[in-house]
Amino acid sequence: MNALFTRALLEWIGTHEGGRLTASQRRFAFWGLVPILIWVFVFVLFPIFWVILLSLFSYTPIREGGWFLGLGGNNPFVGLGNYVELFTGSTKAARIFRQAIGNTFLFSLLAVPLSVGTALPVAIALESVHERVKSSFRLIYFLPVITGSVAVTIIWQYVYAPNWGLLSQLMKTIGLTPPRSWLSDPTQVYFGIPLAMLAVTIVYVWVTFGYNTLLFIAALQGVPAVFREAARIDGANSWQEFWHIVIPLLRRTILLASVLTVISTLQQFVLFQLLTRGGPAYQTQTILLSVYQNAFVYSENMGMAAAMSIFLFIILFVLTIIQFRLLRTEWEY
Amino acid sequence: MLKKFHPFYLLSRSAIYIILTAGLVFTLLPFVYVFLASFKTNAELLRVPPTFIPEKPIIENYTTVLSDSQISLTRIFYNSGMVAIVRTLLTLLISSFAGYIFARYRFTGKNLFFGMILAQLMIPFQVVMIPIYLLTVKMGLIDTLWALIIPMLIDAYGIFVAKQFVEGLPGEVMEAARIDGASEFGIYWRIVLPQLGPALASLGIFTFMASWNDYLWPLIIITSPEKRTIPLLLVWYSTQHGANQGLVLAASILTLIPIFVVYFLAQRWIVEQSTQSAFK
Repeated sequence: MNALFTRALLEWIGTHEGGRLTASQRRFAFWGLVPILIWVFVFVLFPIFWVILLSLFSYTPIREGGWFLGLGGNNPFVGLGNYVELFTGSTKAARIFRQAIGNTFLFSLLAVPLSVGTALPVAIALESVHERVKSSFRLIYFLPVITGSVAVTIIWQYVYAPNWGLLSQLMKTIGLTPPRSWLSDPTQVYFGIPLAMLAVTIVYVWVTFGYNTLLFIAALQGVPAVFREAARIDGANSWQEFWHIVIPLLRRTILLASVLTVISTLQQFVLFQLLTRGGPAYQTQTILLSVYQNAFVYSENMGMAAAMSIFLFIILFVLTIIQFRLLRTEWEY
Repeated sequence: MLKKFHPFYLLSRSAIYIILTAGLVFTLLPFVYVFLASFKTNAELLRVPPTFIPEKPIIENYTTVLSDSQISLTRIFYNSGMVAIVRTLLTLLISSFAGYIFARYRFTGKNLFFGMILAQLMIPFQVVMIPIYLLTVKMGLIDTLWALIIPMLIDAYGIFVAKQFVEGLPGEVMEAARIDGASEFGIYWRIVLPQLGPALASLGIFTFMASWNDYLWPLIIITSPEKRTIPLLLVWYSTQHGANQGLVLAASILTLIPIFVVYFLAQRWIVEQSTQSAFK
């Protein structure tokens, strides 16, 4: 690095809390941070700039392009062409992507009520039992969270196996007729929800259920007893207390858990890739699956995949802002 | 006075235990079923209707997987273990070091630098994986284990946590050490780092697990069979042995053992700290 620039930066790093920094202290703080900032630039800030650029080009790494990141030349600038193609075009990739947007939102829409709806009652029940019982239950509920997603899909293939799988067998035991296939029959659609999508959602809920339960336990522990005492003095019964005191106080946590769940559903890859690979008939194709396939499997146009990434980024960005807002608000009741 | 809230009154004792047991069955049944199935013969595995408890349990599935020269399980465990350990140690050192500097040194541009690092929280890896892949190719790191470590080294959340934690440490000890002639790095290494234990423990466990379980990035980066990590091996193995499911189950269970051991040893930090990340 340029020596003059170094000195200027060293001067810029001003004073220490305990008075002026000595030369050695300044050197230390400077050289300590420089590699980290370079890393952040190379692996975070530059890539986001790069992916935006890529989305404006028809690009594939196989073609020799211009001098700057291989863009230009044989990888021509197409402006918003990739975006226009994605949202109005008739190529297969674009049509599948539009279907994937709907599927991804359907997945989030299914996952949020199922995750919150299972975790909240369990958290309330857990808060009511003895500490020792509680900690062993918590320990077990958390197991799927730490189990790697790949092992999760192998386990669940046995649950969903047609005919001889655990779920089909359980259904037969109680006298129901299981569907011919849980993951690969495109004709199984209930209330507009493909069975395969529902099946993947249930695996997702199984994985994240322990995490959401912990979120709610933490929130329940923060609700002061004075509120319910006050409600009781005012003559409220148990259910009134629950609906009018506990739920409103938990509202922010429910909202936070929902936002976190939506963020994580948008980033879900392994369950779809290994349980259904987007099938049957693209019924479980998601945005991220489309990004992966177009960038790394077909690699005809990485620019198109980059445009898909940007679409995903915009949604995630808005959700992350909402998440930070929710976190920053005071947690005092 | 703020007392802890107890929703005792909401549910009867039996309703509580029905809910908890339902959750338990939902969580454990798939694990137990697959664990038991890994001791079945192939014929029994495919039988309709299936058995739950193996009729005559065998351990051949495990011995076959362990002695399968085609996959060299030790090599794969070494890959996953090395990547996870190196990535975790470096992440912890970098996070604590950066956290210390941000907490203890006041300098112009500090907020800008810190903001640059926190920008990572807004940019999920999945969004930038295409340019990071291209970068990895340019750096010549493609199909190396380093490619699984280097792009993941800096964790904005870890730096954030370390900074908060160092800010909470008493400054007098550090000042005294400085007067006694300790170097700046010496203060970090001998005074700050040892006190960061609890904060780093949970960060370390989560980094380790994220690395151990990661599938998408290794799938993109690793092509050589001998550089596979455990998730890649499991997927490959289950497609290779579609007809011999007992082997796939045994292999899956073997790969779960290390992570479960870590979990049970470190559960205090995992369970208690995991939700903190959502709240702070």
